[in-house]
Amino acid sequence: MSKKVLATEDGTVIRHKPLGTRIWNHRGYYIMFLPVLIYVLIIYYWPMLGVRYSFYDYTLKKIEFVGFKHFQSMFFGKDSSDFWRSFFNTLQLSIMKLIITTATSVIVSVFINEMGNLLAKKALQTVIYLPHFMSWTVTAAIFTLFLSASSTGMINETLKEWGLITESIDFLHEPALWRPVFYLVNIWKETGWGTVIFLATLSGINPELYEAADIDGATRMQKIWYVTVPALANTVLIVLILNLAKVLNMFESVFVMYNTRVLDVSDVISTYVYRKTFLSAIPNYGYTTAVGLFKSLVGCMLVLVCNWASKKVRGRGII
Amino acid sequence: MKKKVLALLLASAMVASLAACGGTSTDNGGSTDSGNSGSTTTSTDGGNTTTTEAEPYVLEDLYITVDGTVTANVDNRQDAFVEQWEAAVSERIGHPIKLHINQPEHSGYSDKVSQLLTTGQPGDGSYPDALIMSATMFRQYQSTGILWNLADAYANAEFQSRITLPSINENMKTSSGELYGFAPTYGNGCVTYVKQSWLDAAGLKIDDIKTYDDYYNMLKAFSNGKTTGVIAAGFGKLDEAPYINYMPEFWQGAYPSFYQKDGTWVDGFQEQATIDALDRLATAYKDGLIDKDTEEATTKIAREKFFSNDQTTSEGVFTYWAGTWLRTLTDNMEKQEVDSELGDDRLVQLPPIKEIKDTWGGYINREAPVWVITDDGDGDDSREQAIFDALLDTMLDGDKVQTLWTYGAEDVHWSTKAEEFVTNPDDPEKKKEYKYEDGQFHLRPTPNDPNSIWKKNHLDAVLVIAPLTNGFVDSDPLVEKGNKFFTENCVDAPQAAASDTLTEVNSDIVSDKTKLMNEVVTGKKTGADAIAEYQAKWGDTAQTILDELNAQ
Repeated sequence: MSKKVLATEDGTVIRHKPLGTRIWNHRGYYIMFLPVLIYVLIIYYWPMLGVRYSFYDYTLKKIEFVGFKHFQSMFFGKDSSDFWRSFFNTLQLSIMKLIITTATSVIVSVFINEMGNLLAKKALQTVIYLPHFMSWTVTAAIFTLFLSASSTGMINETLKEWGLITESIDFLHEPALWRPVFYLVNIWKETGWGTVIFLATLSGINPELYEAADIDGATRMQKIWYVTVPALANTVLIVLILNLAKVLNMFESVFVMYNTRVLDVSDVISTYVYRKTFLSAIPNYGYTTAVGLFKSLVGCMLVLVCNWASKKVRGRGII
Repeated sequence: MKKKVLALLLASAMVASLAACGGTSTDNGGSTDSGNSGSTTTSTDGGNTTTTEAEPYVLEDLYITVDGTVTANVDNRQDAFVEQWEAAVSERIGHPIKLHINQPEHSGYSDKVSQLLTTGQPGDGSYPDALIMSATMFRQYQSTGILWNLADAYANAEFQSRITLPSINENMKTSSGELYGFAPTYGNGCVTYVKQSWLDAAGLKIDDIKTYDDYYNMLKAFSNGKTTGVIAAGFGKLDEAPYINYMPEFWQGAYPSFYQKDGTWVDGFQEQATIDALDRLATAYKDGLIDKDTEEATTKIAREKFFSNDQTTSEGVFTYWAGTWLRTLTDNMEKQEVDSELGDDRLVQLPPIKEIKDTWGGYINREAPVWVITDDGDGDDSREQAIFDALLDTMLDGDKVQTLWTYGAEDVHWSTKAEEFVTNPDDPEKKKEYKYEDGQFHLRPTPNDPNSIWKKNHLDAVLVIAPLTNGFVDSDPLVEKGNKFFTENCVDAPQAAASDTLTEVNSDIVSDKTKLMNEVVTGKKTGADAIAEYQAKWGDTAQTILDELNAQ
């Protein structure tokens, strides 16, 4: 077999040896690469073969091909109302959570950046980082205890003591209150960790900009608004774009806090799949695989959109 | 060209892997035919039929999956139980056998079982040869073909001559006489416990609580400031039969699930009795008589709040399991130093109120949990019969093995040797000394809590269908009192329903019913509105389920 000849734009001629020859010539590298390839195929790609079950009825030992039955049921059939509810809840909860926690992280970062006392600054940073390292299970247990409507609920009993309320407020069971409480718990848990990247950006702002603002007679607020915030804008956008790709991966935080009375506002795709799979005596794995496949496809599209947006904003993609 | 060859090779590998993934193994693993049961195979060769005796099946490894009712768990010397079981059963069946116990977390048991039975194959180590199922699980699995029909094995079992309660298993047979589960005990149920000190403080006597109005007034008397009348694990436990047993005084004659009424299956959730029950619960919740933690409480949380050492935020009434649990609740109150001066009289059992007596007739005795044996589907019963012989036939042998399942391991959980021990040695007020003579059967300190005495293993000596013959009885007067009270005041629960459609939609229906129930009780809608909403969404499906059930 003859060598392949390629000509570049400037007329340089590159002669490629045949693929087999090139592999043989670099066989050492290929042999070194082989274990990684096998590992990736087995760990990452082999399980993907399971997606074929979304076209099957799979209950106990019965596996029967049913075509698009599960997708029909999911989008238009008897399961559609619960499925779409969980889909839109996922989008709403994730995106709102992303916006709110990013905004609070930015605000807290700016405040920390403005603090003059280094010791207090470090202490505050440490304190607000801590909740991030607490598991969602423990976090939910703490907030459930605090917010309980029974006589052991600290918040309700305190409000009653102060005469602000007469009847306990059922924070975790009222559909109108569940989402605000969910966002607040997320702010408490993730704001500190979210400040890391913004504080790193703030530490990189050229001090001469602040000195110039001082010379121009800018107040503290003006320096924040005209120097600090613009310097953070690009980072904020990047953080939003990078996290947007992960919005469908929401499970633990909802799972430990939701209950049957707030399903309409809290049920997300992952909790929906969990219930359909693990709370059925004899689950149909085919249906839940179909929901999972749909979620993966939407997630894949979001990654591509974010990749495109990332290229636009910072000149390079995320994949 | 080489690229094409490479692509072809990769495609072939993909196809091969898909085929391999879809294939099913019929290998039975390490287990082969039973020593206790041979099998006969018939072959036709050139018109001549020859019958040959197959090699006897030797069950060397027995894999069982159990829930939390096997209290000799890994933290409580399960190793000793397994060792003694292997020795006793090996001797009995005439060859060595190893027991492998898989004990998933109790609250997630049915999920785990479903995964094991879906993904595994007999003999692969994680797939159970036999396992425990609740009555609800059992009804759903019994028609799937995954369970072995043990009717013949049961009929020929060695323990048959000693069975005192034959109806438990006879009633589980299908209309064609098949039996897919084996219940070694009857089901037991819940009774309502009331704190004597709270009754005294309210100037009430338990014998005066005869009607729902009396009960309601008692709860009112108990609800003062931060204390409330009653707590339970949910207003109703709609995912687990018999659904109403944690708050029977409110549910009265209602049964919020599919059940047989005068020989016809009906959907109890749509009945007026359920609407009335939900409205009763809502009124009591509004009046502050039901602890608000009830909605989300697990049984553990409800129990712990009831016997908490902070009685200022506790409750006076708690409906829970009868018999042994009377002792456990009393002991836990003792540990928390609640009403210590009342000793074993700190809890009293409330006889069923008139409204319960007039409808169900008494507290509900749930359908018994069962042991099932998995069928490997090879058409040969040798493996399954061997499992029955080794596990279930010996479980009720009246002697060594039954004692293991009833009380645990000898000299670990119980003993007949002379010994003395002390519980709570460092606390003068709780310190208790125990002294036993040689030959005297007694329970020993719990392995993972030496300050409490071991109570039982899997089988309850009082509930078992074939009693022990070795005379080993743990005679705790309080437990006896609890069991006597329950047996005198209980009726059998309705049979759990099972149909194809119900199995498919059950989790969704239960989820919606629980949501509606909680919304009614917390005052978000009326009982009638909730049932109307249920009918609008599930009415047609419920009718399909009823049609299937009534056609069975």
